[in-house]
Amino acid sequence: MASATQEPPAASGVEAPAARVLRAELGPQLRSVADFRGDLAITVERDAWVRAASLLRDHPQLDFKLFLDLCGVDQLDDDTDEGLRDRYEVVLHLYSVTHKHHVRLKTTAPEAAPDVPTLTGVYKGANWFEREAWDLYGIRFTGHPKLERLLTHDAFVGHPMRKDYPVGQRHVLKSPKVQLMDVPADSEHLLVNIGPSHPAMHGTFRVQALMDGETIAACEAEIGYMHRNFEKMAEVRTYWQIIPYTDRLNYCSSFMNGHGWALAVEKLLGIQAPPRAEAVRVILSEFSRIMDHIIAIGTNVVDLGAITPFFVMFRAREDIYELLDACCGARLTVSYVRIGGLAQDVPEDFEARCRRVMKSVQEVVDQADGLLTRNPIFTSRFKDVGAMGKDEALSWGWVGPCLRGSGVAYDVRKDHPYSGYEQYDFDVPVGTVGDCYDRYLVRMEEMRQSLRIIDQALRKLPSGPVIVDDKKVALPPKSEVYSNIEALMNHFKLVYDGILPPPGEVYGYTEGANGELGYYIVSRGAKHPWRVKVRPPCFNIYQAFPSMITGALLADAVAIIGGLNVIAGELDR
Amino acid sequence: MGLLDLLKGKYVDPTYPGVHAGGDIITTTVDAVVKWGRRSSIWPMPFGTACCAIEFMALTASHYDLARFGAEVLRFSPRQADLMFVAGTIVDKEAPVLKTIYDQMPDPKWVISMGVCASSGGFYRSYHVMQGIDEIIPVDVYVPGCPPSPEALVAAVMKIQERIKNGEQAKSPQGAHRLGISGEGAIDRRQRRAAWQQDDAARAAEGLPPRGVLALRVLPTETDDHHHG
Ligand code: SF4
Repeated sequence: MASATQEPPAASGVEAPAARVLRAELGPQLRSVADFRGDLAITVERDAWVRAASLLRDHPQLDFKLFLDLCGVDQLDDDTDEGLRDRYEVVLHLYSVTHKHHVRLKTTAPEAAPDVPTLTGVYKGANWFEREAWDLYGIRFTGHPKLERLLTHDAFVGHPMRKDYPVGQRHVLKSPKVQLMDVPADSEHLLVNIGPSHPAMHGTFRVQALMDGETIAACEAEIGYMHRNFEKMAEVRTYWQIIPYTDRLNYCSSFMNGHGWALAVEKLLGIQAPPRAEAVRVILSEFSRIMDHIIAIGTNVVDLGAITPFFVMFRAREDIYELLDACCGARLTVSYVRIGGLAQDVPEDFEARCRRVMKSVQEVVDQADGLLTRNPIFTSRFKDVGAMGKDEALSWGWVGPCLRGSGVAYDVRKDHPYSGYEQYDFDVPVGTVGDCYDRYLVRMEEMRQSLRIIDQALRKLPSGPVIVDDKKVALPPKSEVYSNIEALMNHFKLVYDGILPPPGEVYGYTEGANGELGYYIVSRGAKHPWRVKVRPPCFNIYQAFPSMITGALLADAVAIIGGLNVIAGELDR
Repeated sequence: MGLLDLLKGKYVDPTYPGVHAGGDIITTTVDAVVKWGRRSSIWPMPFGTACCAIEFMALTASHYDLARFGAEVLRFSPRQADLMFVAGTIVDKEAPVLKTIYDQMPDPKWVISMGVCASSGGFYRSYHVMQGIDEIIPVDVYVPGCPPSPEALVAAVMKIQERIKNGEQAKSPQGAHRLGISGEGAIDRRQRRAAWQQDDAARAAEGLPPRGVLALRVLPTETDDHHHG
């Protein structure tokens, strides 16, 4: 994949524009520039952190307007003074939708004083990411408006993602936080708590709203009710043991997470899956996208009180479940990809099955379209509700159908094609207003486009193996393991030692159902990754939610949240 | 099948004791009728947090259709429900919420723990995940699987119906003792084992059997062996 998705690395001697500009502007404060597997990474001194980020955002040649991700890394390896001086890293990922390039900006902080200036003044989206890095790593972001724990609970002690924090050290919470925001003593407003156990909050989000009549005067959101530590678990698992965990990130379309993970690891390893595997990955990813959009639209209208479209659309989901079941024996959490390909080949009647499912998807999409798109009750709840402007969406770090609803045609499949998406002909729908209705229309159209992609992929489905022939990456076929000592040894060694990638760091990204799903992997050459950070699309999206509903009606908040399609597994990880 | 039909004996064996006048009269206890009513009109409350909740949707949607078992009236308010489906990972932050909601359900109530996460923490043995909801609330039926198939859930609902019929209901958290003795919520197996050993020794001193020892059913021995006889 490395060759297909990345811009060609700058020819020797010619630096990428971002490095050139920063070098000219920052001088000695730019510490180093690295280029590994086509990922540009720039490290700057802490003092130049905010300046560097603003330059990247505002310089016309760079224009990194889309905030993707910010995370901490603990580089603890030895307890010497030397080792502790740069113990914590803060890593920022940005993208430019005009120049179509990514950049990674890094800085370090010593153990004794892990303070880094905040980026909340540069990117709106930095807010929660910095709180998360504080929560998990104890990195203090000076100047942050509200540096509090985000994912773990109030009774938690310590910063769990630090390398010296034991994986299983729990702290028991006896009573939840009662108030998320202060209410002035003489206020006449009513504080309403919604969630986490509330049908519109899908069990895991919590919002408190200060109500002025029916209008939300102020609001605060709390997350972390599903923080089940994917990233910590990933540090004690081998690369393929992580595949089942990725299934449970965005569990509405679990196949796509595994697809993204496999591509990221393949990028790290510098290998590519065989064409048949890639084509099957594309087909199942597109079916998963359809599945995800069905849930998004279905539950959204259930929240508004219409159950029929949900029942209608769920039929197609069942059919897709059956298809996945036939391929790998699981309905929801499929774990079908492997590093370097797929677990096994698809069943013989794969194409016929796919065609059947496509037909039923087509049917239910048309039916739901008939039930909803021109339904006055539905449109009056959706039109001009929760509008989000282009620039603001980029600054929050919105991606996927939500960003496209706001009118930015950024789709990883088109702009940085992977797994052979460049061979398929499809359109990227975009909205004009950026309201709930646009997001709905974008999703409906994407389902149709997915069918187009599947159709083309089925027509030219290549034959051949479905996993690379590399004994350091893929397990030998079981029939050989049982009959041949060499295969048995390879099997044993691979299971025992794991896949050993080269040291380095990559950011692998794909277009998940909710938008750019990225995996930032730091490898030290061992069988466990040193650090895995998921760039969760709906984390950025949900972060904007409190500001979107401030000033709106309470009933609109319910309409908005469903359309954002926030999935707890991906949000809290 | 309406209640009247049943009471009139339309589907009742007229020779059954308690059925009189050719099925026109039935004598039974109020208790039995109430249980029959409860069993056939369960109102579940989904406490769905994660992937399992998606599979729970499949259970209630058109294909598997939980309505066939008289349990389709999903209530999101605990005060209107008598069966709680805990579907998904419960993390420590969510735990007090779960407990509160369980307490708010009126008696009699039942709990299904759906999936390995709710039952034991699943493959998240980590710093923020509750290692099974039975640390804090009683569980009637555990459904294994990650996620369990909808068929397994249907079976679980039928098990609950059986329990209602027999008048059984879990009353206390089965894993509660784990909480107290093992340095609350310890995950490490060795640590936990050491804590349990201490606990066992303390109980032995009081003349009690170790906790968690089950008296297994003794299988009747086959007297004549057909295969080797
Ligand atoms: S048991 Fe498996 S499917 Fe269910 S919530 Fe846990 S991880 Fe998800």
